[in-house]
Amino acid sequence: MLNARLYVTGVGLVTALAPTREASWEALLRGERGIREIDLFDTTGLRGRLGGQVLDVTIRDAPHVATGAWSRSSMMAFLAAREAMEQAKLDPDKVRVGLVVGGTTGGMYENEGRLAELHSNPRNEDALIELLSHPLTAATDCVSYALGPFVRTRTLSTACSSGANALMVAAGWLRAGLVDAVVAGGSDGLCRLTLAGFNALSAIDPDPCRPFDKSRRGLNLGEGAGFVVLERATEVRTRKATPIAELAGWALGSEAHHITNPEPTGATPARVIQAALERAKLEPADIDYVNAHGTGTPLNDPMESAALVRALGKEISRIPVSSSKAQIGHALAASGAIEAGVCALVVQRQKIVPTVGLVDPDPACPLVHVPGEGRAHRVRAALTNSFGFGGMDSSLVFKEANLDDPPIFAEERRRVVVTAAVALTPAGLRSTRDVGELLGEGPVAHDITLDLGAHLDTARARRLDRPARIGAVVVQRALQDAGGKIVPRMGTVLSSAYGALDASAAYLHRLIEKGARLASPAEFPNLVPSSPVGHVTIYLGLGGPALATADLETSGESACTQAIELIQSGEADIIVGGGVEEASAIVERRQATMYRRAPEDQKGDPPRPRAEGAGVVVFEAEKVARERGANVLAEVTACLAWRDGETAPLADVHPSDLPSCVVMPRAQDEELTRLLDASPWRDVPRVACDGAGGEHEALGAIAIGAATSEIARGRVKEALVVGLAKGRGYALRLASRC
Amino acid sequence: MSVSEISRELKELIVRELKLEGKDPTTIEDEAPLFGEGLGLDSLDALQLAMSIEEHFGVRIPEGDEARPIFRSVASLAAYVDSSRAALGAEDARTPARS
Repeated sequence: MLNARLYVTGVGLVTALAPTREASWEALLRGERGIREIDLFDTTGLRGRLGGQVLDVTIRDAPHVATGAWSRSSMMAFLAAREAMEQAKLDPDKVRVGLVVGGTTGGMYENEGRLAELHSNPRNEDALIELLSHPLTAATDCVSYALGPFVRTRTLSTACSSGANALMVAAGWLRAGLVDAVVAGGSDGLCRLTLAGFNALSAIDPDPCRPFDKSRRGLNLGEGAGFVVLERATEVRTRKATPIAELAGWALGSEAHHITNPEPTGATPARVIQAALERAKLEPADIDYVNAHGTGTPLNDPMESAALVRALGKEISRIPVSSSKAQIGHALAASGAIEAGVCALVVQRQKIVPTVGLVDPDPACPLVHVPGEGRAHRVRAALTNSFGFGGMDSSLVFKEANLDDPPIFAEERRRVVVTAAVALTPAGLRSTRDVGELLGEGPVAHDITLDLGAHLDTARARRLDRPARIGAVVVQRALQDAGGKIVPRMGTVLSSAYGALDASAAYLHRLIEKGARLASPAEFPNLVPSSPVGHVTIYLGLGGPALATADLETSGESACTQAIELIQSGEADIIVGGGVEEASAIVERRQATMYRRAPEDQKGDPPRPRAEGAGVVVFEAEKVARERGANVLAEVTACLAWRDGETAPLADVHPSDLPSCVVMPRAQDEELTRLLDASPWRDVPRVACDGAGGEHEALGAIAIGAATSEIARGRVKEALVVGLAKGRGYALRLASRC
Repeated sequence: MSVSEISRELKELIVRELKLEGKDPTTIEDEAPLFGEGLGLDSLDALQLAMSIEEHFGVRIPEGDEARPIFRSVASLAAYVDSSRAALGAEDARTPARS
């Protein structure tokens, strides 16, 4: 029997203090600061010009890696992931290894000039072609190429809690037995866009920041990467790996409050901390150290203090709390993973790290602070918090590693059912009964023409940009369709393959034209990849787990798969999962240009014109759906995800004798034909939904909805949805419950 | 520009920049509180409004506690914009401040 107690066996850190784990750790303990004048780009006009810039982002000793087109984010991800894997002595050729990467800025630093150029000169083909390192998946693909093979990968974003959530997703995979080890973390490079945005929000301290201090004025941005290797106890023993710390608890939740401001009482972070402790089977009395989110903004620190007091009660009066951000800056998506790595080292080495710059603690932050330098301290277990834009809060708990602790057996994965599906395309809004009509041929216009405002309370929806409005309309309709009594703390997972590319281009253009003082504070949060999902949770009051995912043309599949995994592992009871893709002049022109410039021998059919589209599916734990009397449309009977190198991913997933169909998001290309012809689904009828469904990256979610609809209408009893993109694939089998 | 013209433009700016869809700017009362009660604006709106006022009128609004009385109502904002423009000299104020 597998012992599914989870251990960190490798830590890799790239911080403003040093590009390696040990040097970063030593500098943290000594109380050094890596906060310096940023010289990556022009900081004229910004009130804060200091940040945690990493000085040495160079890849040595890896001659097989062609890093010419890699972004800083990708390079730092590689460095930290490699360091973690080397420490764990992990060989992905010998065990099944997964990779989870959290990010927000991706290749923004490298692409800022090109995006600003494309805003004023949209036909600049060179700029279009060079936009290679932008999608968030770029770092995942670079690490995968250079350090893989990885059998399963995930790219996610929850802004500043992305890195922590990468570990949460990894824990779910390991508990479910999907993989034997996971390399999980986050990476984010500094860029002009985020610095100008936080500057516009008045969130930046012009001086080195001072978390928890009475005189604090804001944060310093930083950059970096943090990765850990996580494994089950069984594999740690088999491989004779050295456990550094146990990842004992994790939890996430949404404040559903405000896109930039934390809810001041800290109720949601407190609930998340308590859930993480419960998962770890620990009490506040067992916690001996907290590595706080501790950004140093006027609003965060008292809110986080209130949450800690609320969650840990009287114990908080003895537990030292510190923030590493005064030393390394706020490295956004990387910060949660870096701080997770630091916590693992804290429990391994029995030393705690300080809050540098803290001189006069704010009475609104009544905590046991650790000013100055690190020191020895008995730490049986440590907690770390990460809070992201949109109110996406996560906590992780690390414990001293002891392989002789009583085993934790893998929990039974909960059964997952579908109770509603909604699609919004240029052809209109389709709910569960008629999503199936999007299968087959059909003319598709370019834009969604539905009057989104007519479906929303426009006063409350005023901050929602187009993707957020599309998201709110489809999620709202899906929840109505799911009917019955809606349980609290529903989750939301929405994908976007390229994020807010056109809005970022417009923002950068204005930044260059008008200067940093006139950068819009209200528009900036909408450029973050998790902004649509954040807005949806706030607008609809959804307090459960919320995540954004991205995975090229299979982004919709990645979000649905993530939603199913979170329910299977007990992180949530109900999750609306799917994709929202707005029209993007940049993405569409880029695709056309790439096709035109491709050598003749590489050209197939011209790409179908991209359209706007969104699709979401309501997934529920079977038990919860039954208890609340929901109308169950189909059950998820298999949920697969794979990467290149997997030769027969469908070999073990058989069709039943009942009437079945294969639903393909896109009309079959050679690769998909080969895959299906060699699978047990060879003789099952196939149908595509890129005719009436349009061509966009949320199509996989529409396909899952269409398959559900076919089953609900009794046309088939079972359906397999298979989506492929470059080097990755997903398959979901749905079956009628009758 | 008179104070009443400034008020009128401020109201249009508030509706446009804060995306108060469907709100008729002329229905915003000069003395009505902008934040909390009244229009129900929050600190993110204050930042957006300060940036827009700087762009539109060439007047910088101070940060932090000093800004509170200025942001009380359209009337207080208009008075601040008017006096700042007078201090800057009307010609200079027409050009938005660049930094």
